[in-house]
Amino acid sequence: MTIARRRRSNARVPPLNAAQWEFLSCVAARIVPAVASFDEPATARFRAIVGKAIADRPASVRRQLALFLGVIRWLPAVRWARRFDRLAPEHRDAFLRFLMRAPLAKVRNGFWGLRALVFMGVYARPEAWPEIGYAPSFKGNERLHG
Amino acid sequence: MVERSFDVVVVGSGAGGGTVAKELAPLCRQGLRVAVLEWGPKLRESEFTGREIEMADRLYFDGGGVLTRDGAMTLAFARAYGGSTMVYTGTSLPLPEAVVRRWNVPGIEFDDISRRSAKYLAENNVHLLEDERINDNNRLFAAACRRLGFRVEQFPVNVKGCRGAGVCNLGCPNAAKQGTNRVQLPAAEAAGVEVVTNCRVERIGERECFATVANPGFGELSRWEPGEYRIRARAIVVAAGAVNSPALLLRSRLPLRLPALGRYFTAHPALILVGEHDRPISNFHGHPKSYYCDHFAASHGFLLETCMYFPFVTAKNLIGFGAEHAELMRRMDRMQMILVLATDPALPDNRVTVGRDGAPIVSYRFTDGVLDALVASQRAAARIFFAAGCTRVHAPAGASFFIGADQAGRLDELIARRHFRLGTVSISSAHLMGGCRMGSDPATSVTDAWGKVHGVPWLFVADASLFPAAAEINPYVTIMALADRAAERVRARIAELPA
Repeated sequence: MTIARRRRSNARVPPLNAAQWEFLSCVAARIVPAVASFDEPATARFRAIVGKAIADRPASVRRQLALFLGVIRWLPAVRWARRFDRLAPEHRDAFLRFLMRAPLAKVRNGFWGLRALVFMGVYARPEAWPEIGYAPSFKGNERLHG
Repeated sequence: MVERSFDVVVVGSGAGGGTVAKELAPLCRQGLRVAVLEWGPKLRESEFTGREIEMADRLYFDGGGVLTRDGAMTLAFARAYGGSTMVYTGTSLPLPEAVVRRWNVPGIEFDDISRRSAKYLAENNVHLLEDERINDNNRLFAAACRRLGFRVEQFPVNVKGCRGAGVCNLGCPNAAKQGTNRVQLPAAEAAGVEVVTNCRVERIGERECFATVANPGFGELSRWEPGEYRIRARAIVVAAGAVNSPALLLRSRLPLRLPALGRYFTAHPALILVGEHDRPISNFHGHPKSYYCDHFAASHGFLLETCMYFPFVTAKNLIGFGAEHAELMRRMDRMQMILVLATDPALPDNRVTVGRDGAPIVSYRFTDGVLDALVASQRAAARIFFAAGCTRVHAPAGASFFIGADQAGRLDELIARRHFRLGTVSISSAHLMGGCRMGSDPATSVTDAWGKVHGVPWLFVADASLFPAAAEINPYVTIMALADRAAERVRARIAELPA
């Protein structure tokens, strides 16, 4: 199967189901706190960007993402006897920090990829730019010196 | 399957393929037919929106998210009319004599590379930007380097009418950057070369290649109808870049086994560092890359360059998450940025292979020397930030998310290898080199010094995959110089090659 054909077949499958989207939002709110206060349009835009990025990836990567979300949801139960979305915020952060610096490179890479997806969904929205002081212009030279 | 026939087919239209196309254009006046087959689209001017994700999807392979096999490094390379010359910042340095000596390829002489490089520096309008066009992000870097006694130089850039959009890496929206899409390819087309976009070459056979044309839904339609093609040629020049050229040759049946094919891949692994000022500075307005510091190149194996990236790329390149990360991101207008690049060794096991589906896989191992260089480069960059007046610095190998100016005297202790973990830090590369390295021995190289594949008189390579080791500078002028040599050899040999 060519890469183009594989992508077309991927695009027909929703990137995440409703429960996975809800859980991703729960994790995303710890990665970028502003996600917790997203209104409906911001949430829709976030999901559109992230959803397209997932849909563009090969099926194997999509399976890895789904698996990794499952690991994040349930693995905290080993330490705190609660799943991720029922943990106190400081424990959620502690668990994500553990993933970020995990001894296993695959786990670190998985968290790096998830983090990148969230950042893409948040910061690639032009609506977010005024809040972060980013105001690009095609005529940037005109704004260089005062 | 549609059949087509040409005298010369060039695969790829970037710094290498675009140059070959233009240099072979005189053949068209002699009645020969030359075609360039480019995987990516030719964008309409209105499609250069400067929007980060949209442009990355349109111009980069996998939207700029190609990872090495272990996921530790992101590889950025483009597919488009003009290839990666669409998405670089236009920095144009000729290959230093010391690097030519280290390459040690019989038949590659510094004077020859210099002469050919000079031709393209002139042709692509390479010059130093005027002082008034240089923003604070760049000025502060240069001034701090001088204050610290670090050697710093201004980058010559290939722009014409630059308006300072600052989004060079997303395709210039003002048509100012003089890549092959603006210079060599239009000249080649005007002389009769046929450039076919949206055309992916799957494999090469005996004096033929097999390709698929598919329009992606943006850009101009390909001049060929969508479908599968068998294209015969007397000579084929592969210029698909350091990932896709070796991958294409590995997918193809060559008459000679070449053990070095795909091997000796180098990448100048890079990190983005951020310093924060207590006031807004001009950073995302104006040309983003005006200065470089090679003070540590020989002694420590790294280079420092100015840079300014976009919100998502910036966020991804900061380490960590949560409140501190968001706090720094809210100050994009106060950020000073430095790109650090390590000069990595050419190792046989750093290589391109192909998976079962034919897609390239890049295996890359970071040596201790490269990791040490990346850590040392962060200390040097932090010194520059503080000398430039930053109040705090974010370094991926930092003991904490921020290092304050009051800690500037403890950088050796605070930025250390023990804090630097692959998979946690965003390492990226836009200087992809090797895989079809030049040399005289088919056991350790793929082509001769003219880019001709060993044992295959009709097959040439003309891109950064030819580099036998890292260029130790931004590579595109060197790619053009080597492509110029390959084109010269094709012109000289085409009469001998059977029709």
